[in-house]
Amino acid sequence: MTPNTDERLASVIRSLTEVVLPHLPPEASLAQEQVQLAVGHLQILRLQLDGIPAFEAEELADTILLANALVGAIGGGKETTAAVGALRAAASAASGASGAEARQGLSSVNRAIEALVGAVSTDGSAGSRTELATIILAYEGRRVQKDRRWFLPFGFDTMETAI
Amino acid sequence: MVLIEKPVVANDMEAVHRRIIDRRRANRSLPPYRAALTEEISAILANFFAVEWPGSIVRDVRRVGGGASKEQFFFKLGHGDQEERFLLRMDPRSAITETDREREFVLIRAMQGIVPVPEPVWIDNDAQHFPQSAAILRVVPGVTKPADAGVKVSGLGTYLGPKLRDRLKEQFLDFLVAIHAFDWRANPLPGFEVPDADPKQAARWAYNYWRELWEVDEGEARPVMALATQWLADEMPDTADLVMLHGDYRTGNYLFEEESGEITALLDWELARIGDFHEDLGWVLMEIFGSFDADGTFRASDLFEREEFIREYERRSGRTVNRRTLHYYDVLSSWKCNVIVAANGLAAARSQHNHQDVLLTFLGSTTPMFANDLVRLLGKQGDGA
Repeated sequence: MTPNTDERLASVIRSLTEVVLPHLPPEASLAQEQVQLAVGHLQILRLQLDGIPAFEAEELADTILLANALVGAIGGGKETTAAVGALRAAASAASGASGAEARQGLSSVNRAIEALVGAVSTDGSAGSRTELATIILAYEGRRVQKDRRWFLPFGFDTMETAI
Repeated sequence: MVLIEKPVVANDMEAVHRRIIDRRRANRSLPPYRAALTEEISAILANFFAVEWPGSIVRDVRRVGGGASKEQFFFKLGHGDQEERFLLRMDPRSAITETDREREFVLIRAMQGIVPVPEPVWIDNDAQHFPQSAAILRVVPGVTKPADAGVKVSGLGTYLGPKLRDRLKEQFLDFLVAIHAFDWRANPLPGFEVPDADPKQAARWAYNYWRELWEVDEGEARPVMALATQWLADEMPDTADLVMLHGDYRTGNYLFEEESGEITALLDWELARIGDFHEDLGWVLMEIFGSFDADGTFRASDLFEREEFIREYERRSGRTVNRRTLHYYDVLSSWKCNVIVAANGLAAARSQHNHQDVLLTFLGSTTPMFANDLVRLLGKQGDGA
């Protein structure tokens, strides 16, 4: 690919930083802020670009693992049973997807988990509610650290040393 | 989005919040919003004051930097040989927190003489004169963060340091206690409804409003958010003591004189409502609004360690903090922030209804921090519960 994506992004950043920003009048505070934020976004995108497909694939794989754990552990009445079936189907359909299909698959599995949470509250078996929370919190406890690490370059995370 | 079955009174919320949600839903199909130009605002202000205060002259209109929700402009208003500085606060078409200018205006006016606040002077809530709902307040001197705090969105992890901390912390807490002591029964404020139909109504109003905003703005499903949404529906606490809440009380939302450390104005009252005092405490104690020392010591708003804040609040207010209720509002605060950054802010950016979409998507990167908070909080019982 010529020019490659990194070269294109680098040229846009340089243009914004060295041509546009210095020529904005001092009173154009919103424009200055917006350019600085745009440059920040682009710099972070540059850092992350090569890792995006792997990040998305891992995010989907982790969520399918969660879905399978829930399918194997949760039971109950009619609504819960239906929600477990829908989650199993969503996880199966999303398995191995990449790119836009991976993002769509992730969204579908997450929505199915959301529906399961509501269903368990309605007619989950004894113990299913506790089991559901335990499984989700264990998964999210690991997943959220990956997400935080991914977004560290934005500079907001106050617990960098905890990661 | 799955509709949570509990609470059964799913539509129970303040009328102003119902209006805001309906407006947000209705506005979704409107065309993109463009940031107001300074010269446009100058002309609108001139026309406005030609009616409101004939003979006055508007000059030096300039945009205020920082902040994530309103379009704000400083300007000078002269009349005869006098001239004063004012602040125009104007809504974009859609914001990361969509609120009601008149409600904020009414409350700030009621707080005059109780705690330091800017004086609200003019209001155009129905956008008769301005492109969007707007309010004008007298300018108060002060800063929201020390000059050496670095370039950050104000309030997210602001570091004040030991010297300023010692000067600010007593005022910070005393003013919160004073807000909570406001006698809203003796001084009913128009637009502020009282959640006293049953003991859970205060919690239910908060939950219903933010849950519906999440749905309207199509927040992206996440397992821990689903779990938290259900937990908050199931675990609503009774409210023992209804108070006037500030709603967004933290470092970054007050002005202070850097030299003396005197707080000159409490800002951003737009999320204020009558509710459970634990709701403000949970918000103050959120980790994202605080700081961590090198040794891991956490300080809420870089002012108080958690137990110190609770102990001092109890001592000064005469109230007893119920740890189980506080835990509920700890969870609600992180969940609400998740709604704000992951649904409201991104929806405003997606619909191109804001003047700083790029900031809203930047702030969206904080979503994992709030998800992490939810994991931490849902994994434990309330302290002492």
